[in-house]
Amino acid sequence: MSIGLLLAIILGLAAVGYVFGIRRAKSASGGDTRSLHSLAGYHGQSVFLFVAVPALLLVGIWLLVQPIIIESRVSGLIVEADIPQGGSRDLVMSDVRRVAGGLNIIAGEGGLSEDEIANMGADLGDLRSRLGGVGVALASDIQPNVFEASKRYRQMTNTGQIMLSVSAIALALAGFVYSIARITADFRARNVSEGFVKLLFIACSCVAVLTTFGIVASLVVESLHFFRLYPVSDFLFSLTWNPQFRGGSDLGIWPLLWGTLYVSFVALLFAVPVGLMSAIYLSEYASKRVRSVVKPAIEILAGIPTIVYGLFALITVGPFLRDYFAQPFGLGSSSSSVLTAGLVMGIMLIPFVSSLSDDIINAVPQSMRDGSFGLGATHSETVRQVILPAALPGIVGAILLAASRAIGETMIVVMGAGAAAKLSLNPLEAMTTITVKIVSQLTGDTEFASPETLVAFALGLMLFIFTLGLNVIALYVVRKYREQYE
Amino acid sequence: MNVMRQTDDTTATAEIKIAAKGVQVYYGDNHAIKDVDVDIADRTVTAFIGPSGCGKSTFLRCLNRMNDTIDICRVEGKITLDGEDIYDKRVDPVQLRAKVGMVFQKPNPFPKSIYDNVAYGPRIHGLARSKAELDEIVEKSLRRAALWGEVKDRLNAPGTGLSGGQQQRLCIARAVATSPEVLLMDEPCSALDPIATAQVEELIDELRSRFAVVIVTHSMQQAARVSRKTAFFHLGNLVEFGETGQIFTNPRDPRTESYITGRIG
Repeated sequence: MSIGLLLAIILGLAAVGYVFGIRRAKSASGGDTRSLHSLAGYHGQSVFLFVAVPALLLVGIWLLVQPIIIESRVSGLIVEADIPQGGSRDLVMSDVRRVAGGLNIIAGEGGLSEDEIANMGADLGDLRSRLGGVGVALASDIQPNVFEASKRYRQMTNTGQIMLSVSAIALALAGFVYSIARITADFRARNVSEGFVKLLFIACSCVAVLTTFGIVASLVVESLHFFRLYPVSDFLFSLTWNPQFRGGSDLGIWPLLWGTLYVSFVALLFAVPVGLMSAIYLSEYASKRVRSVVKPAIEILAGIPTIVYGLFALITVGPFLRDYFAQPFGLGSSSSSVLTAGLVMGIMLIPFVSSLSDDIINAVPQSMRDGSFGLGATHSETVRQVILPAALPGIVGAILLAASRAIGETMIVVMGAGAAAKLSLNPLEAMTTITVKIVSQLTGDTEFASPETLVAFALGLMLFIFTLGLNVIALYVVRKYREQYE
Repeated sequence: MNVMRQTDDTTATAEIKIAAKGVQVYYGDNHAIKDVDVDIADRTVTAFIGPSGCGKSTFLRCLNRMNDTIDICRVEGKITLDGEDIYDKRVDPVQLRAKVGMVFQKPNPFPKSIYDNVAYGPRIHGLARSKAELDEIVEKSLRRAALWGEVKDRLNAPGTGLSGGQQQRLCIARAVATSPEVLLMDEPCSALDPIATAQVEELIDELRSRFAVVIVTHSMQQAARVSRKTAFFHLGNLVEFGETGQIFTNPRDPRTESYITGRIG
């Protein structure tokens, strides 16, 4: 029985349960539905939930666990001799899965009966071409052990599927009988529904939290692999970044961290004043008509893909800065520079700063403005001395959001600032950032287990710690000012 | 109306501070104030009463050009302060508002310390030449607003942390600190409890010795208690304007009588 059909049966049962639950509740009320503790619909709902939820949970868990168990059993059938030179057990196991899938297709088309498959084994050459015929292409002839493993795999999967179907439907039926039987006029079906909704919300929030933990855990594990191959102290304190594909690389994080900070700093230096002031203009000075045109126009900036900003940096801003600033002043001759990437990234960040700040400034109560105007303050005095201090926590939040965007930005840096890791103060020189190096190390030609590749995870971990620290500081700043101002 | 002030004859001759002639106010197409003439005497409390939406607050906001901040609002007619037309092109509304201070319905202290709240006006107008002078202005204003004793030990605490009545007195201190000539109060007690109201009313009585005070109020008892002159507004018209005692005991217009006896409003 396929999973789709199984799910349909469970949901069908649940739907039937819903209808029965309502009927049962109505008859339990003795004709007067007002005597029920809960509305009849809640009774139906409680039956529906008791049929569907446990059975679906079982299906979900089963589907997660079954492959792991089968894999470990089948894996035992494959001996070291079956694993080709330079390959790994994982690769053989994936062959096993594909052969098993192919056999399923052939059997499904009626090309082979179950008995025939069970007795097969000798004419393996023919099997390869037949498998090729149904779309399962294999690199080499199938080894006898691999074929046995495939048959075993297929058989265990099929058995597991049948067991799953039987137990899931049994569980659904048990839920059905139990929840129908307990319906009385006094039964608190409404509370059952409430409890379920609460669980649903908890589960959803757990997804977010657990995902974060998962990401951190995977980063940490891979970083530990890296630190086993490369000393932590060199990574953290070396001032050189020079990966060699033949080994013996210098993988110090400082040039990258410096590049990240420098580019982000330039970007924020540009984006924060411009964004904040345009937000002040829009929320305080602009007429409704101007605002209705300008605000969406600024927000269009937020919709431009970063790769397009990258192109802008590469072909317009970069050469411009090189021809008019870098070369005349003798500060460099590269069109990729920190300033290029920073400026273009700053443009990208303007809508983040301005849009959020605009909302926050608008949220400052009108009575503050009235109070200040009433004392004879001008508009800009009011903005500077009353509105901005009142809106400060929110504005700090907006700036930090922009900062984390800047730190995580990759595309603009690749195209605007180049890929050379350098420790330099000159903003017209090419530099690079952590994110760019993560991409280039992971997509490089070196093998996955080498420190040159694994360093990407350590860099990712550092980036994560860095932005986390930034967020913590931000929360602290915001809370401090909140206490003072509200 | 137990504490109603019986007016004495000397007040009728007080100097005119603000004179409004034929004032019309439009909000878009809505004609909110219709041809209002009022003379506000110096060193006197004048009360504006009337049912909600009758235009008394709108008219009050004309007196320091606060309506300028509303795009759709249009003011016609002539309002003079000491004989000068305040809607004249040469008059800077910002300077005008320093001379005509305002206290609002809801206490609106700035999110700053108590000291900075009071020092706000003197600072932007450059009234103090030194820190000591500023300290002096702040103390004097807080004393005048009868708040000094309660806050003198915590001038650096946020103004928003005070109780509602204290906040309103802080706002009065803030308005007083710029040494205005006229103080406009838009229902200053409507968000306060009776004790805080009594304190603010007492304060208004003291402020009368220095400023012309104009107060908008919904409470007729309050108008009777604190004011010497009362103007009754109804549907954008000034129905009656005269001595407070006369308005409350012997109104000339039947609409005034209906309002103060509770039949309209």
